[in-house]
Amino acid sequence: MTRRGLAAATAFLAPPGLWIAVFFVLPMATIVLLSFWRVVDYDIVADFTLANYQKLFRPLYLDVFWRTIKVSLLVTVISLLIGYPVAYYLARKTKRFRVTLLVLVILPLWTSYLVRTYAWMLILGTKGAVNQGLQAVGLTSEPIAWLLYSDFAVTLALVHIYVPYLILPLYSVLEKLDPSLFEAAKDLGGGRWRTFWHVTLPLSLPGVATGCLFVFIPSMGSFVTPELLGGTRSILIGSIVAQQFGVAFEYPLGSAMALAIMGIILLAAVALLRAGRPAGVA
Amino acid sequence: MPALRIPTTPLFALWTALVLLFLFAPLVLVVLFSFNTSEISIFPIRGFTLEWYGRLAANTTFRAALANSFIVAGATVILATALGVAMATGVHRYAARWRTVLRSASSVPMMVPHLILGIALLSFFNIVEADLSLLTVIAGHSIVAFPYVFLIISARLVGFDPSVEEAARDLGASTLTIFLEITLPLLAPAILAAALISFTLSFDEVVVTFFTTGTDNTLPMMIWSMLRFGITPEINAIATLTIVVSCVMAGLAEIAIRRARTTADRRQ
Repeated sequence: MTRRGLAAATAFLAPPGLWIAVFFVLPMATIVLLSFWRVVDYDIVADFTLANYQKLFRPLYLDVFWRTIKVSLLVTVISLLIGYPVAYYLARKTKRFRVTLLVLVILPLWTSYLVRTYAWMLILGTKGAVNQGLQAVGLTSEPIAWLLYSDFAVTLALVHIYVPYLILPLYSVLEKLDPSLFEAAKDLGGGRWRTFWHVTLPLSLPGVATGCLFVFIPSMGSFVTPELLGGTRSILIGSIVAQQFGVAFEYPLGSAMALAIMGIILLAAVALLRAGRPAGVA
Repeated sequence: MPALRIPTTPLFALWTALVLLFLFAPLVLVVLFSFNTSEISIFPIRGFTLEWYGRLAANTTFRAALANSFIVAGATVILATALGVAMATGVHRYAARWRTVLRSASSVPMMVPHLILGIALLSFFNIVEADLSLLTVIAGHSIVAFPYVFLIISARLVGFDPSVEEAARDLGASTLTIFLEITLPLLAPAILAAALISFTLSFDEVVVTFFTTGTDNTLPMMIWSMLRFGITPEINAIATLTIVVSCVMAGLAEIAIRRARTTADRRQ
């Protein structure tokens, strides 16, 4: 590269690179460091210890981690089951309404997840729309209490918030599939199900993997939704992490928990992207 | 088994309609309740009123939060868009060999849940003894929005004809002139889309704000404290306002992206 080229490259790349280094890389490095430190008398002391990671194995925390993984997996699977037919319809079954429908799927994605979580409080509360409806038609005589402040509420709201994240990447993969493949499958006498199992599904796996990841990651780290809809019955790890950075003032323990979440996310990413590698049409 | 062939397309259409209903019904409910005369958000809708919006307009806490939200979102738009455009153009032009790696690296902040980004920023500001204020909030939001800007601009640059820039260079134009006179105008619709998306992201962000703000509240923070410490009937009006702002911004961004695509197609 010429000197002029180098100067220009630096002018473009250095400012954003520096900004990201200071406000993203350094903060992330800070919690890695903190996770090995300890708190003495409400003061963070730079004193190497593994105690924070050992604490993660307390039954209480293991329980919450396990529940968070279970809820996140459930949210991912339900989103896939709900979202796949939508992505398939948008990509392969409709031409006329495609753009309109795509915009309709994208719009809720940009509205605040806090507001959407709040909306579910209105729907699922003891005086909420669902309970009122059930009582009005005489299906129940008393409001169902477990609708709100439960794993059910948290799972439902997380699916609602993150399912568009799954539909979009899946749609873009399905849309690019060569139509001649489906004609070939038909000509060779493959029924609809066989075509789906042996052609469509395997070819759409990269989209499935990306989509699932886009749902699993924010679910694992969710804080607002479980905090508002989970109550005391359904506490997820996000709330416990947040507590360590609030009144508890246990930054080191909170950092260790956050890194454990990142570890789980990384494992899921590796597993999913491996499973989603485009395979040959077998 | 061709004996029984049920037409599947209407089933898929019905399913898609149901999913859209699932996505929109909760939002519609909030909007409906914001115009309801009843003080509590339950059915039946008693009557139409603008009282809650009127009360908001007179509420000084709300006005301060709204102003803060606009300050933070405005600053985030400028920062994230400038940094994202610089990074995307830089990577496209000068780092062709590492393009794939740098693209993945730039989207890493997207893979970190906002909660973890928030606590990491809080810890960092704590260690360097920076006072929490709207400035720290803006720094956090810029990291949230940056990857989106980068991806939108990069996607546009892929379909870019390099011969235009080369021709300008051959005619003796400087790097800065080329960037300002050729690259920027070509990127304009994509930049507009990126700016609008950054605005929505910042305007709605609550978790990163929660950990990085000092005493100043933004609109989502005001909703958050209401939900934690006492709901007032105005909450539906505030929520509706944020829904409207996000939808308008995202809708405009969508139009800008589509326009960018069609002009690029026409040019080729």
